[in-house]
Amino acid sequence: MKQLLRYSLMLTALALTMASCVKDDTDLDDVIAQYQVEPVSIELDFSDLSEVPDVPVTDENDSAYNDYVENSPWNKVISITFDGGQAIVDGSVPGVLVQHSGAHVIVSNFSGPVKFIVSGTTTDGSLKFYGDKRFQLLLNGVDITNPHGAAINSQSGKSMYVVLADDTQNSLCDGPTYTMVDEEDQKAALFSEGQIIFSGNGRLDVTAVGRGGIRSDDYIRLRPGVKIHVNSSALDGLRANDGIIIDGGVINIETTGAGAKGVRSGGPMTVNGGRLVAISDGDTRVETVEAVLDTATCAALYCDTLLTVNAGIIRLKATGDGGKGINAKRDVTINGGSVEAVASGTRKVKKPRGVKIEGNFAISGGYFYSYSRRSDPMEVTGTTRIAPGYKTYDIQPKLITIAY
Amino acid sequence: MAGCKRKQLTVILLLLMLTATFPTLSRADDAGLITTIGASHKFNKKLSAGVEAEFRSRNTFRTADRVSLGGDVSYKLLPWLKASAGYVLLIDNNREKITYQDDGVSYNNWRPSYWGVRHRFNVSLTGSYKVRRVELSLRERWQYTYRPSKMIDNFDFDEGEWEDHEVKGKGKNLLRSRLQAEWDIPKCKFDPFANVEFYTTDVLEKTRFSVGVNHSLKKKHEFKLYYRYQLSGKSSDEPDNHILGLGYTYKF
Repeated sequence: MKQLLRYSLMLTALALTMASCVKDDTDLDDVIAQYQVEPVSIELDFSDLSEVPDVPVTDENDSAYNDYVENSPWNKVISITFDGGQAIVDGSVPGVLVQHSGAHVIVSNFSGPVKFIVSGTTTDGSLKFYGDKRFQLLLNGVDITNPHGAAINSQSGKSMYVVLADDTQNSLCDGPTYTMVDEEDQKAALFSEGQIIFSGNGRLDVTAVGRGGIRSDDYIRLRPGVKIHVNSSALDGLRANDGIIIDGGVINIETTGAGAKGVRSGGPMTVNGGRLVAISDGDTRVETVEAVLDTATCAALYCDTLLTVNAGIIRLKATGDGGKGINAKRDVTINGGSVEAVASGTRKVKKPRGVKIEGNFAISGGYFYSYSRRSDPMEVTGTTRIAPGYKTYDIQPKLITIAY
Repeated sequence: MAGCKRKQLTVILLLLMLTATFPTLSRADDAGLITTIGASHKFNKKLSAGVEAEFRSRNTFRTADRVSLGGDVSYKLLPWLKASAGYVLLIDNNREKITYQDDGVSYNNWRPSYWGVRHRFNVSLTGSYKVRRVELSLRERWQYTYRPSKMIDNFDFDEGEWEDHEVKGKGKNLLRSRLQAEWDIPKCKFDPFANVEFYTTDVLEKTRFSVGVNHSLKKKHEFKLYYRYQLSGKSSDEPDNHILGLGYTYKF
């Protein structure tokens, strides 16, 4: 009896000891897999894009009528050819004064619509416009570098139609330091006080090392066919104070500056087509202004007012600390097209966010994807309205997908 | 002799019944096993020494909790007063730790369970007093445990990635006070005992209630079977614990 009891106890101890091989951790494998999900790959994309034909507005009452270069007469033409350290001007138009010092050209246009055909190469040149008349700038294979400021600077408050001649390669580059002129702005390698309307089927590369890439103190419209690539290591890539309209084109923007935005619109931004890829690699800018600590996060797309997407492809990525894919200060509405935003940066100073909207968010069509590696994928301060009829509505810890 | 057998069976059946109730315990409670195997030697009437290996389980006997190996030396200062000192190497399977965001639902960090080493030193004074067949004893033990630092894995849900986390080294002083009663039943090799032990730092960390029997065989083999209920203090994140204890000591 005693022996049986002893053996029983020993066997019980042995059995229980041997059985103790199960982990008691919570099974979080599936949860962790959701947190470790990799985002879609977003890279610059220069491939051709099949776009719907660009039909100019012909109704003079249409607010966009004047944005179409086709709707103005361009029988007044001046050619400017850069050739190293000099510029060759061909043609004259009454009321238009063209002055140049070396390859730095200043045009004063008080004549009406004038077409300037620009070509050639200079590593120390620039093109500046004054006047109160709209004008066309046909970039016909030009390469301008201005070590002291903007490559092209329009001080005219009127429309500057930048036409990229078919199949041409055009390059603009600013310098690391800008030589300023009193009471004049020059905020980017390609700067205009007035509207900038891009059209044509050529390509424009803008490299900004001192300030922004392309900037208008009015608005910017991009039409189908254009191919624009902006690489800015300083300030914003593509920026307009009063709004940006993308009707089409292949637009690639990359910025690396602290606090810089790939695309920044101070007014309403509307996307009706084309393909926009914006990648912001900069970190949050931290500076002390009047003894107050100020921070500015990067964003691939930053919009001060309304952002509306009706069609087109928008692919955005922010890789820096606190970077946002979309940072919208007001409402965002998606009626169609495809919007993908990825934030893969750290959150040492600020929280990165795929999409941050301080207004309302509404979607009724198209495709929407937002991913944040180190925070919630989306933040909406206002209301979120997701119209019925979606095929996919997937919310995970790091990503949101909505598809119609 | 017949009375002894009845008492034996009563005690053993009581312990087994307690053990059988483990799976139906409160959800907040846990159940585990402590098995020990050791050897001790009495050099003379005053001085003795021993070594002991221990295995503990938790999670209703399913998960290994601790493996330890230790030794101690005892010296009888007076017929009723014994002093002892010991060292134990502890290899612990530390429980997982999950923290949540401010909303109380979303995960913040997950540190899975991990094995870690600790070193424990103790010195004790045990006073005993016999009332008829019952020996009452009070043991006061100062215990110092040192945990060396260790790098472990931690999943940060905000970062969405595994990261190295340093569990910093630290030492801990603790006072253990155990009050015990042990019955010496005539002509019976089973000696029932019951004790209560308090673990105190600046607060009461835990309390143990134990009841069991010691069984000697030819004065060389000693078996121990007991049930223990361990009540964790408010400052502890460990659950209350029902423990089945089984031990064997070889005396030479």
